[in-house]
Amino acid sequence: MNDANPIVRMQGLRKWFGGTDALRDVDLDIHAGSIIGLLGANGAGKSTLLRHIIGLYLPNKGKCVTFGCEAGKLGPAQLGRIGYVHQEGELLEWMKVGQLIRYVSTYYPNWNHQLEEKYIADYDISMGARVGSLSPGQRQRLAILLAIGFEPEMLILDEPASTLDPVARGRFLDLLLQLIQNENRTIIISSHILSDVEKIIDHVVIMRAGRILRDCSFDELKEEFHCVRISALSGDLPAELPFENVIQHQRSNGQAVITVRNTTPEQIEETAEDMNCEVEIQTLPLEEIYKIVVS
Amino acid sequence: MRILIVNLRHLYQRRGLWLAYTIFGLLALWSLALAFDSTGLFMVLVPMQLIFGLCMASLAIEILTKPFSYCLPGHRAVLRKFILSLGAATSFVDSLLFLAYPNLYWGQWALVTCSAFCASLIMYWIGVALAFGLRNSGSGLAVAVWLLLGATFFDLHIVAERTIIIYPFVIVLLGLACSVMVWIWLGNPNWARRLCASPRVGIFDIWNRDKLLEFKRRREAVRCDRSKYNLDPWVERFFVRRMNRCNHLGPGRYIWGGLYTTYGMALSRWKEILSWLLWTLAIVVFLSYLEHGETDILFLMAGVMVTHMPLPIHSSMMISGGRSERFVTAIILAGTITVLVSAALISVAILSVALAPIMPEITVRGELLTFHTTSLRLLIVPSIIIPIVLAFRLIIYRKPFTTFAAVAVLFTLVFVLGFGSPKRIGALINPVSLVSLLILSWLVLVIVLRHICMRRSLVGQSKTY
Repeated sequence: MNDANPIVRMQGLRKWFGGTDALRDVDLDIHAGSIIGLLGANGAGKSTLLRHIIGLYLPNKGKCVTFGCEAGKLGPAQLGRIGYVHQEGELLEWMKVGQLIRYVSTYYPNWNHQLEEKYIADYDISMGARVGSLSPGQRQRLAILLAIGFEPEMLILDEPASTLDPVARGRFLDLLLQLIQNENRTIIISSHILSDVEKIIDHVVIMRAGRILRDCSFDELKEEFHCVRISALSGDLPAELPFENVIQHQRSNGQAVITVRNTTPEQIEETAEDMNCEVEIQTLPLEEIYKIVVS
Repeated sequence: MRILIVNLRHLYQRRGLWLAYTIFGLLALWSLALAFDSTGLFMVLVPMQLIFGLCMASLAIEILTKPFSYCLPGHRAVLRKFILSLGAATSFVDSLLFLAYPNLYWGQWALVTCSAFCASLIMYWIGVALAFGLRNSGSGLAVAVWLLLGATFFDLHIVAERTIIIYPFVIVLLGLACSVMVWIWLGNPNWARRLCASPRVGIFDIWNRDKLLEFKRRREAVRCDRSKYNLDPWVERFFVRRMNRCNHLGPGRYIWGGLYTTYGMALSRWKEILSWLLWTLAIVVFLSYLEHGETDILFLMAGVMVTHMPLPIHSSMMISGGRSERFVTAIILAGTITVLVSAALISVAILSVALAPIMPEITVRGELLTFHTTSLRLLIVPSIIIPIVLAFRLIIYRKPFTTFAAVAVLFTLVFVLGFGSPKRIGALINPVSLVSLLILSWLVLVIVLRHICMRRSLVGQSKTY
């Protein structure tokens, strides 16, 4: 699945706007076939980073190379392999939906008309409506179609589902799950709806203040943190719990709930046995992990 | 009272208004200095109330359109108090100028001052009505300025001044009646509901590109259901077929795509374009009757027109074209814009020559005016100006109104200087200098385009730009 050569390589990337550093010394490799969740607070630099990949921004320092081509020199050969959705991205308001689809599809010789028809039917897109009259959710669905209609090798989704209703969001997730069946397709999704994102990603990049805090596989991140519920088999729990690498600690009703880091389940169980306690070990949801990493 | 005072603080918090205060202040000083000249300068501040009313109402409306203000207790009641208090205060100041009016006895001075006060109020209320009636106060401002210029041209300010002096009771009654009507009208409790979250462009928003785009988008959404302006199928077929004939890796497809997105809608709205051309012809006919045949201004105005035609560089819409494709497309588009504008001007000039034999001489205020044909000696000027304006527009693409204002001011200066020293300007108009300027202006555009396309960010950090 993963090629030795990354399809996107960022080295020492720096970008500033006026006096504000949007990206600081970002090093990131994206391999073909990865499904990457790009997470971060508002203003962390996610959109800025994604725009470098497609050449909308050029770095002030460092380099960004996409499909072997520097960001400033990307042409149809490279950009024709990338689909990009931005939640408030520009569309041609004065065209009708059908006209816009035909216009955009003209640029892509491998446009999949069957996929287009299926998508239009599934998402109930009105071909005769003017783009400018669409609601934000309808615009987003149209933007997604324009990005996936040519079955791109790399799909960049910047807050793609923020304006979709829950039903549409569910369908969008199903669509993404279908898309990732193609092992060579790379997807980068930036979203605040982490419960959706964690269903599909296999790699996580967490950003804060223009820097990358974590860049690792999702499994690795999940295994790093555990939530442990401890209850004493007899008597009360000891005042001090001898677990290592505890980052959060809560007690109530004779039980304790702790969050530990870099401690394997086997080590936790061994410690619990020594304490004569019962433990229930769970992996944390992505949202909880994210809060811990950025705090 | 406290709520009123809090709202009045906007008058100094809003920095855009400082410019307005400077202009009004200078005008007041100028008119005061020349107050004893009997050419209607006592009136100079009265018609300016039209613009002031527009500004102040626009300020109030801006707050009402914000959803947070809908629930502010006591805010709705303050709308008319805010607007009236400002109108009354400024009208009072304007009317004081009439105290210097010569040859009036004491009683007359008081009456004339009241009359001037009411006349100012009437103009102020017209400005307020414009602000409430128009969704785009920027266009209201343009209308107001043109109205004032037109009125000055036809010496209506002298007529108005004499009316204030000779018929003060009429003006006072009219002013009071208008004030009562507007007071009742503004007291309608539905204003907050109607204006809350409604798409509007205030005077201060014409500098804000994001706001203008948002307004345009929301108006399109409302308008489109009943809009008869749709892209014609033949236009779509024409361009899409030509795009499909080009290699998808070459620039041709993107050039045709750029032509499609730039001209597609205009070609579909050819009737509207035709009516616009007829209006332009009417303006040309008007200008042709002026003493110096000021039709030369058309060639300069081509540059002002182009400020509203941005090149499609800064777009976040993803198609497969890269920066090189955007650069080539933009050059081609700049060329087509120049050709089309020049063709339109040539058509106008040819029409004026065709009309010349049949256009009559007319007499206005005892002066005989004859029709002058539009000269083509400045035909190359748009080809020089347009690339410079487009380059300027690219550099400050986030502030389209700034471009428009700067270009309009610059061309006005050039025009005025041209009439001030025609010999000096005439010496510049020779083939060598024109060709040199032509080459230089296109070189500037190519350099600016190249720099922006190859080295700058193509979108800003805000929503779409």
